[in-house]
Amino acid sequence: MSSQVAFKNIKEIPPVDYYTSGRRTCAGCGPALGYRIISKAAGPNTIFIGPTGCMYVANAHQFLTSPYAVPWHHTQLGGGGAAAIGVASALRTLMLKGKRKLEDINVVVMGGDGAMADIGFSGLSMGLSYDYQRLLYIIYDNEAYMNTGVQASSTTPWGATTTFTPAGKVKPIGNTRLKKNMALVAAAHPKVKYVATATLWPPLDLMNKVHRALNAGGPTLIHVLLPCPKGWFTNPSETVDLSRLAVETGMWVLWESIEGQFKLNYRPKPRKHVREYLAPQGRFSHLKDEDMEKIDKMIEEEWKFWEESAKLGRLVVPY
Amino acid sequence: MSAIKPMPPVAIEKPKAKVWNGARAIAEAVKVADVDVIAAYPIRPYTGIMNSLASMIANGEFTADIIVADSEHSQFEIVKHASAVGARVFAGSSGVGLAFAAEAIIVTALSQLPVVAAIGTRALDDPGNFGMEWSDALMFRDFGWLISWAKTVQEAADMTLVAYRVAEDRRVLLPHFIALDGAAITHVATPVVPVTKQQATEFLPPYRPPYRIDPQDGPVTKAQHIAPSLIGPEERKTIDVAQKRSKQVIAEAWKDFAKYTGREYPPFLETIGMEDAEFALIGMGAYMKDLELVASRLRSKGHKVGTVRLRYVRPFPAEELINALGGVKAAGVIEFGYSFGSPFGTGSLYHEVATSLYEADAKPTLLDFLFLGGREPTVEHFTQLAEKVIESAHKKPQKKTYWLTLRGEDI
Repeated sequence: MSSQVAFKNIKEIPPVDYYTSGRRTCAGCGPALGYRIISKAAGPNTIFIGPTGCMYVANAHQFLTSPYAVPWHHTQLGGGGAAAIGVASALRTLMLKGKRKLEDINVVVMGGDGAMADIGFSGLSMGLSYDYQRLLYIIYDNEAYMNTGVQASSTTPWGATTTFTPAGKVKPIGNTRLKKNMALVAAAHPKVKYVATATLWPPLDLMNKVHRALNAGGPTLIHVLLPCPKGWFTNPSETVDLSRLAVETGMWVLWESIEGQFKLNYRPKPRKHVREYLAPQGRFSHLKDEDMEKIDKMIEEEWKFWEESAKLGRLVVPY
Repeated sequence: MSAIKPMPPVAIEKPKAKVWNGARAIAEAVKVADVDVIAAYPIRPYTGIMNSLASMIANGEFTADIIVADSEHSQFEIVKHASAVGARVFAGSSGVGLAFAAEAIIVTALSQLPVVAAIGTRALDDPGNFGMEWSDALMFRDFGWLISWAKTVQEAADMTLVAYRVAEDRRVLLPHFIALDGAAITHVATPVVPVTKQQATEFLPPYRPPYRIDPQDGPVTKAQHIAPSLIGPEERKTIDVAQKRSKQVIAEAWKDFAKYTGREYPPFLETIGMEDAEFALIGMGAYMKDLELVASRLRSKGHKVGTVRLRYVRPFPAEELINALGGVKAAGVIEFGYSFGSPFGTGSLYHEVATSLYEADAKPTLLDFLFLGGREPTVEHFTQLAEKVIESAHKKPQKKTYWLTLRGEDI
């Protein structure tokens, strides 16, 4: 079982970056920060697969540059699950047939919420049903289709405005669908060795989870919440603070499932009111106090199930 | 970039013929081609190829990873990315399956990845039409894929090996479809002389992509998002040049194939009785056998009829076609694909033939015979249409396009 801690403190973080300059992401871009941290944790023997999304469109475009210091291949918006299987299968088969030297190589898909929870859902599920090792699916979840101009996805939270779910006179709430829990979906695949949720806070949590996932011995998934100043209408300097508030208000639950063993990584005590997380975000500015209360109530209810899961040591579906 | 020069063969091996259907024959060719990664998803009529491959792999006849995908889109994404890592790959589909995979298929050519895939041609839905039409394969004529079309099971198997050789040649590096007429090739068993493992190994050098997605080759970034103003037209031109270059590579490959196997094929066009022909029947695929029979019967009655069979639609052999049709008074295009609302209501292959003939000095009368919607044609239909072509030379035809097998429509 893989529960080791590879990065004990910030000083131990390797100085080498594999996601470097040569990109044009927004100031305060959560996914770019995530990419940097994830690639650091994965190390040099890694192949990244990038389905269409912000991290495709914003990572080059005008200057014929590439920010990746490791092999990187684009795949279509719905192709993340399958592309990674193609890469992993090719590596394993070429090694098996003696056409390539034996080596541990990580295959990491950096798929956005649209790429993984919507259009590529079926392919992701297929990928999680195989047994390729060192295969990690990252959902970098900024909770909408941001590079196309902020359209709702199935991970957009209740009450957020997007250009497809605007708050108006007749429909005052904005998005009325509830956020899809992709880590739970992933955990329902019997071959999956490791599933986790993460965000940019606490600082070493994401890096250690990447390390654990890659050494888990099968397909793995980490659902990472990454704030987006452009689509959340937030101050670029608050990206990491918002990650922290998401955890401290209980809106984003940090957990791991290691070969089916559930572990709650963080209990906010006392849990802050969700207003603290929602209020700085322009996408929730239309919400009334009663709406925020409603969200806080939903969180309260959901947490009973997380506590129950922690007690039992296995997942209890909270919906 | 130099041509791949395999070692000359010592003596041609002559293995015993087997009785295989098209699906099995293709699978046997994939096996001797030492394919590494295969992605499967079922849709009739191509499915049998994957059934055969899965059972060969399960029984240890060769080593490859066969992945059961969740869709055709995933199938083509899997092989595209496996190819980029350096694996030799195989996929395939039919009808609406190809339509579903279209996005992945299109980007494969633009990434210059030599994926080889079989198409068991099938009518598109609705209704759930499993008859034979060419509209699925011809959907992909515009995106850089090489497309060859087999007449026999033997040719289908041989084309598979040649496809890898051409697709992987550094002068080409384009993906390759092999079109097999649904049922007529995929499901019909005929005697086939297999390509032996040794022949395949000598004919087909290992796949060595120039830049692999593999840490061994350094930080290669592939298919990056790039502003159109930077490399848009140049990228398209690269594919265009590769398509044009492929003609020479195809000719070389078939010549070489004959050296190893003793089976000779004209690279682009198979012409029968065209030396003195006044009338030509132009087409592709399995039903050319029937057209050849009709042509020889008409010849015995004194009509100078010949047949022209296209073995490739991409690259399209326009010059070869013009040469073959020189001196012909009238010709008919026999086809199973259509474009609704097209000029004069003609079929997809007609457009290609007519465009080529526009550059010819002498233009024959050109008629179009359409078999659409998957209803099976008979030799009777082919005889009628051949007679119509002969008649059109001295009597102006009433129409350009004829729908055959359609109820209530007479030729």
